[in-house]
Amino acid sequence: MPTFEPVIMKGIGEMDLADIDVYERGGGFSVLRKVMREMTPDAVAAVVTESNLRGRGGAGFPTGRKWSFLPKDGRPRYLVCNCDEAEPGTFKDRMLLEKTPLQLIEGLVISAYAMGAKQAYTYIRGEFLEGSRIFRRALAAAHSRNYVGDRILGSDFSLDIVVHRGSGAYICGEETAQLESIEGRRGEPRLKPPFPAIAGLYGMPTVVNNVETLCYVKHIVDRGAQWFAKIGPEKSPGPKIMSVSGHVRKPGNYEIPLGISARELIEEYGGGLLPGRTLKAFQPGGASSAALFEEDIDVAIDFDSLAAKRTMLGSGGFVVMDDTACMVNCARTLTRFFEHESCGQCTPCREGGQWVARMVARLEAGEGSEEDLRVLNVINNTITGTNLCPLGDSIMPFLASVLKRFPDEFAAHVAHGGCPLKRMAAVVA
Amino acid sequence: MSDVKMVKLLIDGQEVTVPDGTLVVEAAKTLGTQVPVYCYHPKMDPVGLCRICLVEIEKTPKLQIACSTRVSEGMVVRTMSPKVAEGRRGVLEFLLLNHPLDCPICDKGGECDLQDFTMEYGPGASRLTEPKLHKPKRVDLGPTIVLDEERCILCRRCTRFDNEIAQERNLVVVERGHSSLIGTIDGGDYASYFSGNTTEICPVGALTSKAYRFRARPWDLAHADSVCTQCSVGCNYRVDARFGNVMRTFTRENPDVDGGWICDRGRYTFNYLYEPSRLREPLVRRDSDLKRASFAEAVTLTAEKLSKAAAAGRAGIIGGGRLSDEEAYALQLFARKVLGTNNIDHRARLQRYASPARFGAQLRDIDDADLILMFGAITPEQAPILDLRIRRAVARRGAHLVFVGPFKPALAVPFHYIEYAAGAIGDLMDSLADAVGRGSQPQGPFATDLAGRLQSAAQIVAVHNGRNTVAAGALERLMETMRGAGKRAGILVVGSQGNARGAEAAGCVPNLGPGYAPIAQPGLTTAEMLTAAVAGKLDALYIAGANPVLTFADGALAHAALENVPFLVVADQVLTETARYADVVFAAASQFEKRGHVTNLEGRRQAFAQAVEAPVGVATDAAILSALAAALGKRDELFDDPDWLFSRLEAAERAAKPAEPLARPKLDTLATPQRDALDVQRKTFTVIPVPKLYAGGGPSMHDPGLAPMRPEPRASFHEDDALLLGIAQDRVVTLSGPNGSITVAANVGTSAAVGTVLVTADMPEAPVNRLLDASGTGRVTVTPAPLREKATA
Repeated sequence: MPTFEPVIMKGIGEMDLADIDVYERGGGFSVLRKVMREMTPDAVAAVVTESNLRGRGGAGFPTGRKWSFLPKDGRPRYLVCNCDEAEPGTFKDRMLLEKTPLQLIEGLVISAYAMGAKQAYTYIRGEFLEGSRIFRRALAAAHSRNYVGDRILGSDFSLDIVVHRGSGAYICGEETAQLESIEGRRGEPRLKPPFPAIAGLYGMPTVVNNVETLCYVKHIVDRGAQWFAKIGPEKSPGPKIMSVSGHVRKPGNYEIPLGISARELIEEYGGGLLPGRTLKAFQPGGASSAALFEEDIDVAIDFDSLAAKRTMLGSGGFVVMDDTACMVNCARTLTRFFEHESCGQCTPCREGGQWVARMVARLEAGEGSEEDLRVLNVINNTITGTNLCPLGDSIMPFLASVLKRFPDEFAAHVAHGGCPLKRMAAVVA
Repeated sequence: MSDVKMVKLLIDGQEVTVPDGTLVVEAAKTLGTQVPVYCYHPKMDPVGLCRICLVEIEKTPKLQIACSTRVSEGMVVRTMSPKVAEGRRGVLEFLLLNHPLDCPICDKGGECDLQDFTMEYGPGASRLTEPKLHKPKRVDLGPTIVLDEERCILCRRCTRFDNEIAQERNLVVVERGHSSLIGTIDGGDYASYFSGNTTEICPVGALTSKAYRFRARPWDLAHADSVCTQCSVGCNYRVDARFGNVMRTFTRENPDVDGGWICDRGRYTFNYLYEPSRLREPLVRRDSDLKRASFAEAVTLTAEKLSKAAAAGRAGIIGGGRLSDEEAYALQLFARKVLGTNNIDHRARLQRYASPARFGAQLRDIDDADLILMFGAITPEQAPILDLRIRRAVARRGAHLVFVGPFKPALAVPFHYIEYAAGAIGDLMDSLADAVGRGSQPQGPFATDLAGRLQSAAQIVAVHNGRNTVAAGALERLMETMRGAGKRAGILVVGSQGNARGAEAAGCVPNLGPGYAPIAQPGLTTAEMLTAAVAGKLDALYIAGANPVLTFADGALAHAALENVPFLVVADQVLTETARYADVVFAAASQFEKRGHVTNLEGRRQAFAQAVEAPVGVATDAAILSALAAALGKRDELFDDPDWLFSRLEAAERAAKPAEPLARPKLDTLATPQRDALDVQRKTFTVIPVPKLYAGGGPSMHDPGLAPMRPEPRASFHEDDALLLGIAQDRVVTLSGPNGSITVAANVGTSAAVGTVLVTADMPEAPVNRLLDASGTGRVTVTPAPLREKATA
C-alpha cells in the first residue's frame, strides 16, 4: 500500500473542505495569516523558487522563475489561475476545485501577494458549472472573513478575484488563448514572444498558473522550500496528483511523490491491471503524450525521466491500455479530439490535423490503404514542430509512437478491412 | 540613424547589418532574398499563422518563422536547406489539401502566391484520397467583393486589414478549426470604402473584385503608372489595360502619400468609360436639342461666339480642378492670351482656397501628430486615404483628434467633438491663438480644454476644407503662435476637386497667374461671372470639367446664369446637369487617356502616364483649347503637347518664385460665411451640406462599379427637432428655401445640432445647393409629406 502522506489531497473525501469552518478548523488560512504577518512578497517568491516547484499544468516550467520574469516597471500585474482542465485523462483540477476550493483560494492569495498582483482571475472550464458554483460560494465565504478583498487580514495588501467561465474550448487552456478569452475575444493563442509576463492580460505583465501549482505554493510556504525539494528527484521535486484511468482496477486521483515508477503507480496506487490482462501501452501525461509500453513499466514518473523517453509528464493524466485496447481505435479517439479542438489559426494543425483524423478514421473503419500508412508514417515531420502553439504538436505523438511499436496492428486493419481485435473478440464470444 | 543599435547576422552565408528589432523576413529582403509569406504583411502586425516562412536558425532545434523572429547579434539563418524545404513543402501540402482546383477560372491565376510558392517549394501531386472539404463559393460579401471560402487559406490578412488599418472591424473569422470562414461581424454587407484593398492583399483568389471578375488575365495587361484624382490626396496607382480597355487599377505604393492603399472610389471609377452615357463626340444645340456634331463644327461655332464675347470683354471661364496641371495652365493661357480676359476661376464649389497661405503640412506629418484639429472637412468622405493615416495615428500612437463644427460627423476613431457654428470657428481660432501666444483666457466653450491640448502637444496638424476664409486666416495665426512656441504645426486643406490645388497654382483664379504671380487687373470670380450672366453682362461662358449647377453654392444663381448666358460651352466626360444647358458640348478625355501631372493637397506634383487611347471624337482638354486657339488665330499661343505646356508652366513658376505666404485667390464679398443665429421657434432650419464619398454628378454617377454604393439623399434632424416637427426616421420631407426646394427622406438622430438640418451634398436628384446662397449657407422651412393613407379593407 502506498505510504505517501497526501498534501493537497489531504482530507478530501473525509470532510467537507469547501465549508470554511471545516477548512479553518483543519488549519486553513493559517499560512495566509503567517504570510500577511511576517513575510514580504520577495520572501514568499524566494521560498517558491528555492523549492524548485515546476508548474503542474502540463508545461512543467519552474514557477519561481516564471514569477521572476515580471518586469519592475510599475505596470499593474495580473495572476490568472488556469482551471481550464480539458486534457483528456486529467481530472485533478476539477477535484481540487470542487472539493477543496478554499485551499486553492489560499494558494491564490499567497501567490498574488508574492508577485504584487492586485487582481486575479480564475478561469474555470465552462463545463465545470457545479465547480464554478462551489468556487463562488467559497470565494464569498473567504471574502466575508477578509481573506480576499480589501486590506486582507488588516494588511496593506488587497486582492480582487474575478471568476471567468470558459465556453467549452480545450485551446483556452493554452495561456495566451486563455488571456484572449478573458479579454472577450476568440480563444486563440497569441504569438510568443511577447510572453505573458511582459505583455499578458490587456497587455500587462501576467502570470498564468495551474490550480495544482497554486495549491502547492501554500504548502511550500508553510513547510519550507527544503521539505518540498527533498521529495523526489532534485530537478523535478515534490508531490504530484496523477489522474489514473483506463484499464486499472482503481482509477482515480492519487497524490504521489514524483520519482516513483510507473509500475508502482499502476500496481500500488491503481490497484493493478484488470484480471487476466497484460499491459499494452500507457500514456503518462495526457492526450498529448507519446505512449510508453510494457518494457517501459519501470520508468520513473517525473518531468525529466519521461522527457528522456521522448514522452512527457504533462498534467499527469495517466491512461492505461491493456491487450484488449486497439491502438488504431485509441488513435482515432485522440486525433478526432485534436481535430475538433483545433482553433484553426495555423496551417499544419488546422489542415494536417483534419487530414490525419480522417485517415485514421478510415483505417479504423477498415477503409484504409497502404498509402495512408505511408503518409501517416512521414507526416510527423511536417505537422510536429511547425505550429503556433503546442496543440498542433500534440496531434502526432501518440499516433507516431504506436505506429512505430505496433506497425502490424495498423497493417492488419488495412489487410483485413477492419480491427483484428474486434474480430477476435467476436469469435471468442 | 546614429543612435539606432545595429545588429550583424548571417543569412545564407552572407553578412547583413540591420537595425535591432528587424524581423528576419525583412532582414532577408535587404539581400534580395524573398522568404515566402502569406499571413505576413509589412504594414500589419505579424501573427505567425500560415507557417510558410519557416527558416532554419542555428542553435534552435525547431524551424522558426521568419515573420516574427527578430534578428539578434551573430544569428545564423538559413532560408533554404533540406529541413526548410521539407517544412515548406509540408505547409504547402496542407494548404493545397482542400484547396479547390479553380486555377482555370480563378482571377488570381498568374499572380497567385499559392501557385507561385507551390511551383517553387510545393509537392507536385496530392496525396489526399478522400473528397475535398467544401465551403461556400461565390459569396456575395458586399457591393464590391466576391468571396470564395474554399480558396481562402485563412491567412487573415483581410480581417487584420479591416481591424488594424481601416479600423472598421467588420470582417471577422467565424466558426473555428477547419470549418473557419471569413464573414462579417453581423452577417451584413462588407461595405467599407477600402474593401478593394483586400483583393490585393489576399494571396489567393478568395477575395475578388466584382468589377474585374473574369475579365482578364494578368499577363494580358499593360500597365500605366498613374495618380488618382477622385480626391485631392493623389494616391499613386497603376492602371491595367487589356487590348486598349481599362480593366482594373492596382495600388502603387508611395509611402509619403497613400502608404500602399487606395479607396474604392479611386480604385473602381473607370468602367464609366464604357457606358453609353459617356460622351463620345461633340454635341451642338440645334432646334433646342443637343445633337451630335463633328469636332470641326463644334470648334468653328465656339470660336465664333467666344471671339465676339471676348472682344467685348464679356467672356468667362470656369474650371480647372478636374484637369491636369498642364491643362489648367492651358486653360488660363486660353483665357489670358487667347480671349484676353482674366475672368477665370476653378472654384465651382464652396471651396475658396485650395491651399494654406502658410504652414503647409505633409501627409506624413499626421503620423506623428499629437493633436489633429479638423473643421469643415469630413475626411472619411472627402479624403479617405488621408483619413486612414488619422485612424492609425489615433489608434496606435495616441494622437488626439478634435473636430470643431456645427454637427458631429461619423468618424471611424474616437474624437473630441466641439460644437461651433461655422461662422464662429474663426473666433475660436483667434481666441486659441491669443491663449497660446499671450496666455490670455481662452474665450468660448471648450476653448480652455482645447488650449490645454494645444499647449501640451508637440506636433499639430490642422485639416480643413478651404471654405471658411475667416477661420482659415485665424487658423494660420494660431499655427504661427504654435510654431513660435517651438511646436511643429502644419495645415492641410482638403481640395474640392482632385487637382484643385494644381489649378490654383497654375493660375486658374482671376487675380493670380501661374505660380501665384499677382495680376494687375483681376477678373471676375465664379460667383461674379454667374451674377454677370444673370444681369446680362456676360455673353459667353466656357466650363471645363466643372458642374456648377450641382456644386456651386448658390444653385439657383448657377441655374439662372446658365439659362441666361447667350452662349455656353461645356467640356466634360458625361452629360452633367451643367452640360445640359450648353450650346456646345465637347467630349473631353478622361485622365486615363492622356498624360501629364497633377498636384495634390500637399502641393506635391506627381506625374501620370497614359493608359489607353481615347475614342475618336473625344479630345483632351488641351487639344480642345489648342484647336480653339488656332480657330481664333492664336495658334502659337497654345499647343496641346503636354511637354510643351509643362515646360512653360515650370518656367512661369520659376519666374514667379511662389513662396509662403502664398498669395490668396480673389474672394468675392458673397464668399464670407454668414453668422447664423438659431431660430428658437424652429420655424426655419439652417441647412448644412454634408459630403458623401459616392455622391456626385460626374463620371462617378455613371459608373456601374459604384452604382451599388450610391447613397440616397437624406436630411438629418436632431431628435428634439424631429419631435417638434412630428416626423420619425425615414419620413419624407420637403425643405423649402427662397430659391428652391428639395424632397428627401429624413434621418433622425443626434449628429445634427438642434436648429440645423444636414443634407447630403452633390445629389442631382435632390440638389442641396438650391437651398443655399453664394456663401454656402441657407435657411429652410420643413414640410413633412403627408403619410400615405392606409388602404381600407
